[in-house]
Amino acid sequence: MRYLYIDTSSSFLYSAIVEDGSIVSKVEQEYGQDLSKEALPQIVSMFTNNQLKPADIDKIYIVNGPGSFTGIRIGVTIAKTYAWSLNIPIVPLLSLEAMAISSKKTKIHVPIINARRGYVFGAIYDENYQELLKPRHIKLEDLKMKLSAYQDYEFISNDTFEEEIITESYSPDFLKIIDFYKERESKNPHAINPEYLKLTEAEESLL
Amino acid sequence: MKDMYILGIESSCDETSVSIVKNGTQEIATVISSQIDIHKSYGGVVPEIASRHHVKNITIVLEECLEKANMKMEEIDAIAITYGPGLIGSLLIGLEAAKTLSFIYNKPLIPVHHIAGHIYANSLVKELQFPLIAVVVSGGHTELIEMKEHYHFEKLGGTLDDAIGECYDKVARVIGLEYPGGPKLDKLAAEGKDTYKLPVPLKDDSYNFSFSGLKSAVINLAHNEEQRNNPLRKEDLATSFQKVAIESIISKVRKAIQDKNIKNIIVAGGVAANQVLRREMEKLATECQVELSIPPMKYCTDNGTMIAAAGYYAYLEGRVADLTLNSKSQDILK
Repeated sequence: MRYLYIDTSSSFLYSAIVEDGSIVSKVEQEYGQDLSKEALPQIVSMFTNNQLKPADIDKIYIVNGPGSFTGIRIGVTIAKTYAWSLNIPIVPLLSLEAMAISSKKTKIHVPIINARRGYVFGAIYDENYQELLKPRHIKLEDLKMKLSAYQDYEFISNDTFEEEIITESYSPDFLKIIDFYKERESKNPHAINPEYLKLTEAEESLL
Repeated sequence: MKDMYILGIESSCDETSVSIVKNGTQEIATVISSQIDIHKSYGGVVPEIASRHHVKNITIVLEECLEKANMKMEEIDAIAITYGPGLIGSLLIGLEAAKTLSFIYNKPLIPVHHIAGHIYANSLVKELQFPLIAVVVSGGHTELIEMKEHYHFEKLGGTLDDAIGECYDKVARVIGLEYPGGPKLDKLAAEGKDTYKLPVPLKDDSYNFSFSGLKSAVINLAHNEEQRNNPLRKEDLATSFQKVAIESIISKVRKAIQDKNIKNIIVAGGVAANQVLRREMEKLATECQVELSIPPMKYCTDNGTMIAAAGYYAYLEGRVADLTLNSKSQDILK
C-alpha cells in the first residue's frame, strides 16, 4: 500500500509518500507566504523523483486543521480534488493529533498552535494519544488551568507565544502517524472540509 | 485544427463556477454555486466566509459540471483558471484545484485574468471585431480597455477611486435597499424622475472615472433632506443617480470611439446587466455607427464560462503556466 500525506496547516509544508512502512520521499520545508505557490510543485517532485504517477497512490491522509485558515484550505483543496478525481480513499486527521503522535516522550501531550490574542488551538492527549481534552480554541491560561489536574505533561509547538512557555518542537513522524490511523475510515472527498475550530469574526459578531 | 475543450474555473469572489467551453465560443456546460444569500446578512461579501464556502463547494461543482457535459476529465484539453485579481483566499481554492487537475491529468494550465474573462464572455455570443473598446463595469472594476487583436489588451483608463458597482451598492444602501443593491436600484430608478441635482463625475479629457465624489454627494443629499424633514423620494434619487453615473461612462466611451477609430464596443462585468447602461450604449453605438456587444445576463456575473472562453484565446497565444502559478489579489491586465 502506498500513502500520500499532506499537511499545510502551518507555514510549513509537511508531505510524504509512504510505502509498506517506509518513507519513499518527504518534504519538511517552511514556505510561509509562498505555500500556495510551492505546495503542489513540491508534492509533484516527490512523484517525479520516484517515477510515480498520481494513480499509484492507494490512500491520502490530509491534515484538515486547526491552524492557518488559508494554509488548511490549500492542502484540503489539493487533497480533496486529488481524491475525488481518481476516486482514492481519503482520511482526515487533525494537526493537533499529528503533533501528539509525533512526540518522542511518554507523558501527557499538549499540542498547541498560536491563535493570537492570548488564544491557542490546543488539546490534551494521554500517553496513548487518547483525548483527555477535545481539540478547541481556548485561552492559553484556561488551558493551563485544565492542566493543573495532570502532573507530567509537555507542550508541543513550533510557535512562539506572548508569554514564555517551554515547548517541545514538532516535526511530523510520518510513519507513526499513518500507522496510528491505518484503521480510520476514509470519507467521501466532497465531505472533506477544514476543521477551523473557530467561527469567522463576522459570524461571531452576529451571535 | 482539432476541437479544443477547455475547463474553466472561477472563484475570485463569492461564486464557485466551473464550465466547459468548446473552441472558445461554444458553451457545453456550466455550473455556478452562488453565495449571495450567505453574505446578505453581512451587507457585503465577507472574504473569510467566501473562502470557506469555496473549499466546501469546489469538487461538487467540478463533478456537476462534468456530469452536465457528460464528459470525463480525460476528454478535457486544458484547464483555464482565474489567477487574479480578486479576493486572495477565494482565488486560492480555484487555483489549487486547477493545479491539482493539471498534475493528475497532465493537461496544460492556462492562467486567465478575471477581466479578460469578462471581455471574452462576449465571444460566446458573437465574434469580436477589432479594434474594439471593452467597457468593464462591475463591483470591483471600471475600466476602458482597447484591443487591436485577440488577447492583446491596452488599458486606456479606469476608476481613480471606487468601482461603479461598488458605488451602486453603497448608494442603494443609503436608499435602504438590501445587498446586493445595484440591480434593485436599477429597477427602482425605472419608476422615478430625474429631480435631484447631482454632479457628473470627472468631466475631463482623460479616460478615467471617479465615483467617490458622486457617492458622497448622494450621502450628503440624503442626510440634508433628513435634517430638513423632507421625505426622500427614493425612486427619484435612484433615477438621478443612475443618470449621472451612466453619463460619465458614456461620455468617456464616446471619446475613446472618436479618438481610436473603433469598430466594436464590448460591455462586460456585472453592471453590464444594468438597463439604463444597456439603453445608452445602444444609442451611442447607433450614433457612432459601431457594433455593440453586450453579453446575455447569465454571462454578466462571475462564471467559469467566460474564463474557459478567454482561456482558449490565451492558449492560442501560448500563455500556459507551470504548477508554481500563484493567485494575485491585484494584477494589471496585459
